[in-house]
Amino acid sequence: MNRKKILGVFLAVLTLAVLCAVFFLVPPAEGLDYYVRIAFFHIPMAWVSVLAFLLSAWWGARYLRSRDMRFDRLSARSARLGLIFVLLATASGAVFSKLTWGAYWNWDPRQTTIFVLLLIYGAYLTLRAALGEARLRARASAVYALFSFLTVPFLVFILPRLYFSLHPSPVINGSGSIDMDTSMLLTLLASLADGTLLYAFLMAGGSGRDIRKEESA
Amino acid sequence: MKSSLFHDIRLVFRKEMKSALRFRAAWAAMLMFALTTLACVSLAVQGGGLSPRLLAALYWTVLFFAFMAGIDRVFEAEDSAGTLLALRVYAPADAVLFGKLLYTWLLLLVLAVPLTLAFLLLMDVTVVTPLVLFLLVLLGCWGMAAAGTLVAALGLGASVRGSLAPILLMPLMLPVFLPAIFVTSGAFGAEAASLSFLFGMGLYDAVLTVGASVLFPHLWYAD
Amino acid sequence: MEEIVFQDVSQSFQGRTIFAHRSDVVKGGCITAVCGANGSGKSTFLRLCAHLLLPTEGSVSVSLGGEELSREILLRRLSLVTPELRLYPRLTARENLDFFLGLRGITLREADYEALLARVGLRPEALRDTWAASFSTGMCQRLKLACLLASEADFWLLDEPGANLDAEGAAMVLREARQAANAGRLVLLATNDPREEAAADEVISIP
Repeated sequence: MNRKKILGVFLAVLTLAVLCAVFFLVPPAEGLDYYVRIAFFHIPMAWVSVLAFLLSAWWGARYLRSRDMRFDRLSARSARLGLIFVLLATASGAVFSKLTWGAYWNWDPRQTTIFVLLLIYGAYLTLRAALGEARLRARASAVYALFSFLTVPFLVFILPRLYFSLHPSPVINGSGSIDMDTSMLLTLLASLADGTLLYAFLMAGGSGRDIRKEESA
Repeated sequence: MKSSLFHDIRLVFRKEMKSALRFRAAWAAMLMFALTTLACVSLAVQGGGLSPRLLAALYWTVLFFAFMAGIDRVFEAEDSAGTLLALRVYAPADAVLFGKLLYTWLLLLVLAVPLTLAFLLLMDVTVVTPLVLFLLVLLGCWGMAAAGTLVAALGLGASVRGSLAPILLMPLMLPVFLPAIFVTSGAFGAEAASLSFLFGMGLYDAVLTVGASVLFPHLWYAD
Repeated sequence: MEEIVFQDVSQSFQGRTIFAHRSDVVKGGCITAVCGANGSGKSTFLRLCAHLLLPTEGSVSVSLGGEELSREILLRRLSLVTPELRLYPRLTARENLDFFLGLRGITLREADYEALLARVGLRPEALRDTWAASFSTGMCQRLKLACLLASEADFWLLDEPGANLDAEGAAMVLREARQAANAGRLVLLATNDPREEAAADEVISIP
């Protein structure tokens, strides 16, 4: 309990720091002006939605090995959180897209990837909802999370080759050299850390409630 | 006396074939569903002069729908006939997965033939590179069979099972469909797409197959 | 020698406790009957023995010749006859047998096939080219038993084997069970029938 409180406080401080940096420290990006600020929200959201899915699949695998229901609970919780994050990522990405290129949606590789992730989350949670028996649900969800995880690397590599990308050329481009202002980079890293901590905080916060809910089901 | 995996797979496959040939309603429904969809599409766009890209998308959509109409049956037929228990006792998981996978692939290919012909005729499409289209259909149907067999098994043991298969399959099929549509549009006359996509599809099919064979035993041996 | 050991096994399903803290041993070479009222969990007991079900608590271990068998290996060495077991409705008797026995690596020649059917009281001519869907329950039961007999299994798990059979059929079951037990197999019968219970060497009661 004490650790959670410390995490919570640290999280609040970091979030505040990131917000300050975004609004006061970071200069307008080339060609994007102040709209770049949305990126500091969008990118962490997108990152956490991938992380949440990864962990959901990982805990699913742990469940299959051990048949310990704790892992199934973690997997489900991560997926529910991940859905929220992916919805926020999709929405913020669409807004960013509209503000900078005039269209909410254009199916460029990154938008398509985030959309596919949304589909996977939706499918996973629908599957869970459809299966009533706890052990069957845990087994089937774990298998589906792992199976659908296989699509991710393929989409990441195939999609960019299929479509012309309207996404700004990655600020961390292929050769690894970093193409942005130092303050932007630091703020971005801080916001990624912030997002990850938020996820961790929400994961830790709910587990008590989850156990009570599932045991009464 | 021991029997090899190939032998077992062949047994399961032949059993599926025999049952299917004696119960035409199963696959006839899939075919009719697909042809009806196709007829509606053709009617709606009659004379429309569609772009190769759109035609390619429509083609794969029709194939996907046909598949969806039948995918639940992979295990549902066993379930309703009550034979799941016997199969579980006598057949190893791998034999069941691959036997059913191969049967489903063959079924899809057999359905794809009249469907493709009907499509080409109704939509007035000229195929520039038929061999490419053929390969695409082989690879695409394998992907659908592999993913579909595993997804159909997700509901094993559930007392009430809605038709979730299409929702569950959609994300899994995108790495197959997107390149397939792209390359098909090339086969239908648009600017030819790189054949490395075929390699990508083949690789994904392999990954799906390996993934299915690792995950299927967890679903098959219910607890 | 076959052996199934239940160690402190409890089984519950969706909140309902089927049985709690059972410790039993079933040995090969004799007929063991599992008896209890309807719904007491006899069929569940059988499924636990076959590793078709994992216990909610405790452990079930099955061993052959001192070595514990994993689920995959056990399934290849056992045969099951239960009311839930069904044959493929659109295959003939011969095709059903060829399929299931083929998966065990067993091929039946025509003569063996006819002898097997005779053993369970079925006439081959009556079954030729008829789909299993049109069999009576008694015929299905006899065919399932035929499959059991031909499968060369070390573990025989039978759930109400005499059900749907006439007196002659029920006697056939007990005769075959005795023969198998004498040959060293593990024969487990889940039953309500007093005759079957009487024929058993050991009885496990599930309250």
